[in-house]
Amino acid sequence: MPTAKELESSMKPTWCPGCGNFGMFRALKEAIEELAIPAEELAMVWGIGCHGNGADFYNVQGFHGLHGRALPVATGIALTRPDLKVIVEMGDGDGYGIGGNHFIHSVRRNIDMTAIFHNNQIYGLTTGQASPTSDQFMKTPSTPGGVVEEPVNPVGVAVAQGATFVARAFAGDIPHLKEIYKRAITHEGFSVVDVYQPCVTWNKMNTFTWFRDRVYRIEELPNYDPTDRTKAFDLSMSTFHELTCAPDECKIPVGIFFEEPESFTYQDGLPQLDRPMWKHAEKPRDISATIAAFGG
Amino acid sequence: MPQAPTELRVRIGGEAGFGIKAAGQMLARSFVDAGLETFDLTEYPSLIRGGHNNYLLRVSTEPVYSHVEPVDVLICLNRETLDLHHQELVDGGAVIFDPADFPAEDVPARLRAVPVPLTDIARDSGGKIMRNTVALGALLGIVGFPLTYLGDSLHKQFAKKAPEIAENNVAAAQAGCDAAVASCPDFFVKLAPIEGAPRRILVDGNEAVGMGALAAGIGFYAAYPMTPASSILHFMAAHEREYGVVVKHTEDEIAAMNMVVGAAFGGTRAMTASAGGGFALMVEAFGMAGASETAVVVGVLTRPGPATGLPTWTEQSDLRYVIHAAQGEFPRVVLAPGDREDAFELTWKAFNLADQLQTPVVILGDSYLSDNRQSTPAYDLSKVTIDRGKLVTEGEVPAEAKGADGRYLRYKVTEDGVSVRALPGVKGANQLGNSYEHDEYGFGSAGEPAEVRIAQNEKRMRKMKLAEKLAPPPAYFGSPPDAADIGLLFFGTTKGPAREAARMLEREGVKVALMQVVTVFPFPAQEVAAFLGTVPKTLLVEGNFTGQLEGLVRQECLLPVENTLHRYDGRPFTPEQIVARVKEVL
Repeated sequence: MPTAKELESSMKPTWCPGCGNFGMFRALKEAIEELAIPAEELAMVWGIGCHGNGADFYNVQGFHGLHGRALPVATGIALTRPDLKVIVEMGDGDGYGIGGNHFIHSVRRNIDMTAIFHNNQIYGLTTGQASPTSDQFMKTPSTPGGVVEEPVNPVGVAVAQGATFVARAFAGDIPHLKEIYKRAITHEGFSVVDVYQPCVTWNKMNTFTWFRDRVYRIEELPNYDPTDRTKAFDLSMSTFHELTCAPDECKIPVGIFFEEPESFTYQDGLPQLDRPMWKHAEKPRDISATIAAFGG
Repeated sequence: MPQAPTELRVRIGGEAGFGIKAAGQMLARSFVDAGLETFDLTEYPSLIRGGHNNYLLRVSTEPVYSHVEPVDVLICLNRETLDLHHQELVDGGAVIFDPADFPAEDVPARLRAVPVPLTDIARDSGGKIMRNTVALGALLGIVGFPLTYLGDSLHKQFAKKAPEIAENNVAAAQAGCDAAVASCPDFFVKLAPIEGAPRRILVDGNEAVGMGALAAGIGFYAAYPMTPASSILHFMAAHEREYGVVVKHTEDEIAAMNMVVGAAFGGTRAMTASAGGGFALMVEAFGMAGASETAVVVGVLTRPGPATGLPTWTEQSDLRYVIHAAQGEFPRVVLAPGDREDAFELTWKAFNLADQLQTPVVILGDSYLSDNRQSTPAYDLSKVTIDRGKLVTEGEVPAEAKGADGRYLRYKVTEDGVSVRALPGVKGANQLGNSYEHDEYGFGSAGEPAEVRIAQNEKRMRKMKLAEKLAPPPAYFGSPPDAADIGLLFFGTTKGPAREAARMLEREGVKVALMQVVTVFPFPAQEVAAFLGTVPKTLLVEGNFTGQLEGLVRQECLLPVENTLHRYDGRPFTPEQIVARVKEVL
């Protein structure tokens, strides 16, 4: 069972000093260590973006896929290797923009795996263009007049689409993030964790300070019931706010919005997934019954 | 001139929704069960008028490789069928029709009118729905073929229904037979069952591909429906629990290809398939399979493009596209089955090649392969082998796959370009499969130095040399090239019409050598050059406008191509068309 230290590869992280990815890196390594997941039973998949550069920094069994396509690669692993726990990391442009279709369909499939979204509300690796989660009217090199459209509400979309675990976290609160990760990874079903992860280089609006002034923990809400899908949806509306809202005008809830502890996962619907699927190719399959059905 | 009595060509036409294909396939099944050979061609919908479906069946005592143009019997389930197809009939050919649809005088005098009250007989037998069965009985009647085989097919078809349904259908067929024989007892084609004929299966190309994948030990099939590939998805899904395959109908082809890469990364034999349009969406992940050295199999079943094109028709226009698809350069193999025997064999071999080379392998077919059924020697499973190449599925990473620091080198530079692939789950198999250029460990940020890029790029491309050794060689038919009057060069499903054309020409004393380029990439330049250098004249036949195979010959062999024949109207070549072009060339 690897320790957090052993989960680090020989490659030194190249994220900008102060990048929110550092907090996410630490929280996830510690969560994996504390969950005592054996190295041989863990697979990780990344999309493309600053988050994806993290693929080099983890010492795991991993796959660094295409921009926007981490979820289907991870799905291919999860639906053929029941012996592996699958964790997918994506960015906001990666997971909600170009890969948005896969996001919706992965949620509704309820595949038993964990999807982590590095949400910095900007395109970092391509130098600061607006992302699907950029706040409305934010000015960027690709939107000099300000972003016209409303941001994607990933928590709301996931909740509305029937997700069985939806959380949002803040990379500036590592202990809280780590606990959310642990809950997400142990959840049986598709778990969505959207993590606000400020980009210190390109996003001058949604900074660490901006978030610190606004975030609060959902578990501190009186009488909040995370099994109430409608309440979770209402709470997700906090995604939408004025660009220049004052701290007390736009509070950002972080924590577990929704959880359905017992659910029918995609894997539950696949009785044939009773072994690693590569085992079917150990020798030619006897399909003589099928050939006979065609007249042979 | 009427055909020799060993062969029957019949066309059944009627409105869409009349169950024409189902009736035709039942007829084909009856003949194959009786030891005869068949090839069928389903056309839907016609371009002449929407809603006209027709099914062409060729039956013979000898193996048949394709459809042919003339028809001996036309079964008209409506008036339109007579108008559209009577000119295809040979002199003395029979028209089976319902006199309630049109009078016998409408049948041209050179033809034999066989009126059978299809609707009345069907109604008397228990329901109008059995009209097709009456017509099949009529056909079997005039060719003198016993109804027992059709009866068996009907019993199988309706096994799950009330017993009287099958019995009613048998009675309808018998009544149709009796009526037709009374009107036409002396038709010039007579067929009889062949006792002790070798085992034949009746399969279309997609079923053949599906069975090849199953035999090869496929564990994951993902696809998005697109004609003509959709029925592979149906076939795999129908067998998923029986054989333990995870089959996923995905949100799009992008997801399908990426899922297949993920499954293959986990060591599972995995495949997707689509038409060229769906493959367009797969292309980026197809390249990723090349970059990450992931063993995947992709079916590309061509229909006429560009864009939505002609969804239900055929073409051979994706050859260059498939060979060049995706940005950058990486090794790949493209196999082009010519018939349903090839389709089975090349599919299971594709999985071996993908594993041995750790790179994507394409099965390039088309609608003519996918949609049409051909009687085919029953697949011999004892010939199927599994070679997973340098794969470690369990235990520990072997020493030779480790670097000086004891860590696993997923992309270790080797002489043949192939590295040991230790699956996730193997002890010490921490690795990074990567779509980025990468170093031997798989680290993307370490892939940028020029010398690393060169080493990895050359390592991957060295696999093309290995591919040349491993990939199936060209296939030759007909006369030996050094004894031929002409050589025909082609790829894919043109094989069928070309072989038929050669047979027709041989009967006229023309010696034809045939060369099928089976592995179209890497291109077998030496063999093609040798063939072109041996035959006195050459005709290259391909179903596209621009001459894609011709271009490859020029590029790879530095040889001109004397004569070509193209077709790009959505229809497959007919042997007669090839024969006519050969005669022009000679």
